[in-house]
Amino acid sequence: MFKSEKFIEETIKKIRQDIKGRTLIAFSGGVDSTVCASLVNKAIGDNLIAVNVDTGYMRKNEPESIKKLMEHMKLNYRFIDASDMFFESLKGVFDPEEKRKIIGENFIRIFENVAKDEKIEYLVQGTIAPDWIESGDDFRDTIKSHHNVGGLPEDMNLKLIEPLRDLYKDEVRKVARSLKLIVSEKQPFPGPGLAIRILGEATRERTQIVREACDIVEKEIENAAKNNNMELPWQYFAVLLPTKSVGVQGDKRAYGFVIAIRAVQSIDAMTCVFSKIPSDIIEKISNKITNNLGNKINRVVYDITNKPPGTVEWE
Amino acid sequence: MTKIFVIDNGGQWTHREWRTLKYLDVDTKIIQNTTPVKEILNEKVNGLVLSGGSPRIGLEGNLGNCAEILDKVEIPIIGICAGHQFIARHYGGKVEPSKIPEFGKVELIIFEKDPIFNNIVKKSIVWESHNDEVTKIPNNFINLANSENCEIQIIKHKDKSLYGFQFHPEVEHTEYGIQFFKNFIKLCESN
Repeated sequence: MFKSEKFIEETIKKIRQDIKGRTLIAFSGGVDSTVCASLVNKAIGDNLIAVNVDTGYMRKNEPESIKKLMEHMKLNYRFIDASDMFFESLKGVFDPEEKRKIIGENFIRIFENVAKDEKIEYLVQGTIAPDWIESGDDFRDTIKSHHNVGGLPEDMNLKLIEPLRDLYKDEVRKVARSLKLIVSEKQPFPGPGLAIRILGEATRERTQIVREACDIVEKEIENAAKNNNMELPWQYFAVLLPTKSVGVQGDKRAYGFVIAIRAVQSIDAMTCVFSKIPSDIIEKISNKITNNLGNKINRVVYDITNKPPGTVEWE
Repeated sequence: MTKIFVIDNGGQWTHREWRTLKYLDVDTKIIQNTTPVKEILNEKVNGLVLSGGSPRIGLEGNLGNCAEILDKVEIPIIGICAGHQFIARHYGGKVEPSKIPEFGKVELIIFEKDPIFNNIVKKSIVWESHNDEVTKIPNNFINLANSENCEIQIIKHKDKSLYGFQFHPEVEHTEYGIQFFKNFIKLCESN
């Protein structure tokens, strides 16, 4: 079995050996980076600076809640709104791998700027096993380039520290519980954010659509799980498809985009089964999406693919 | 402590094999398939797992030093997916593209008795991910299990604890995955 107390003790010791100066952590407020921040903070204290980047591809109210979390954890933090830069750099980009690599590079350039100003040598990332496994290398096939591994530029100036490399999400959660972190049960959210939940060009306008749809899916599913109407999935969200379909809205022909709902059960993201959401709940989600986003979305589908052959996110 | 190493052939789930063994309190390590056989022998391991690998590697080409390992290392070995296909090829069997590849959930049907099946029922859910499969069993091997779309799911050498699994016992969603490993560890310990 995995022993989180032992892991915490050994990791703090190792961080103290490995890190000999000022350090920056790429902080998203998810389970992985929050666990990392807590461990490194315990090891080197105020020599750690947490940097959170608002990419513009965040979920509803996310930047505010991350700020609160960093304050709650008493982290020495910097908050950087880089949404203009991200939207600009993804203009006209349709290929999922290209998106992930551009996003990965954006992050690093921002971190390098902070590092230069504040004389920082080390970059801590909350990379976990599936990130480097799926990013591939000369030996292992690339399934998708996780922004924090396959998306790293070759000419990076910071020394990389990744204390969670050999863990999977269920193990990171165990560490988070031992550390009594409030994010321990938070669902995973990819670093590239909503950009990879928009198939095709991730424009500001399309981000707004998928952000709204994700919010509806999250609220309805969390509510249903709270009322014991279903098991809370491991991950649950909406994807904006680039396909248009014909509908009828208010006695008028509609020709709008399609939202796919994705919800899966897993412990480690390496294999997943799609969640069996009760039909009345999925109906409620569908109604809400088409009513709230009526002029953009007139069709909702449910993704019934396991992993393999699918992956959790669509890009 | 029982020592079982995982030979990495570049699979998506190599690290899961390591994790499963680690959880079962085995002294385990992932090593590259190019590790010299001498080094493996010096480590005095009790068993080996030959992991799966990148697309089509089981169909053609070498898996690092896996051939030499099979020839020189006389301990229990399980080959998984591409590792399984490589074992079949190495001993004179045949591997071909699957007419119907299997991805994800599949029902495994066991039709032979074997120590590797202790406490495992005849029909169970396993997880698959393969484009190719063994179509001819080598001499001195027998087939122990199948599925709806794949006739050869588990091969075993007639005289040795040498197995090939087409499915993946190391992933969470394989129903008796941990039990397969427990049984394998037993074989390694009694060898």
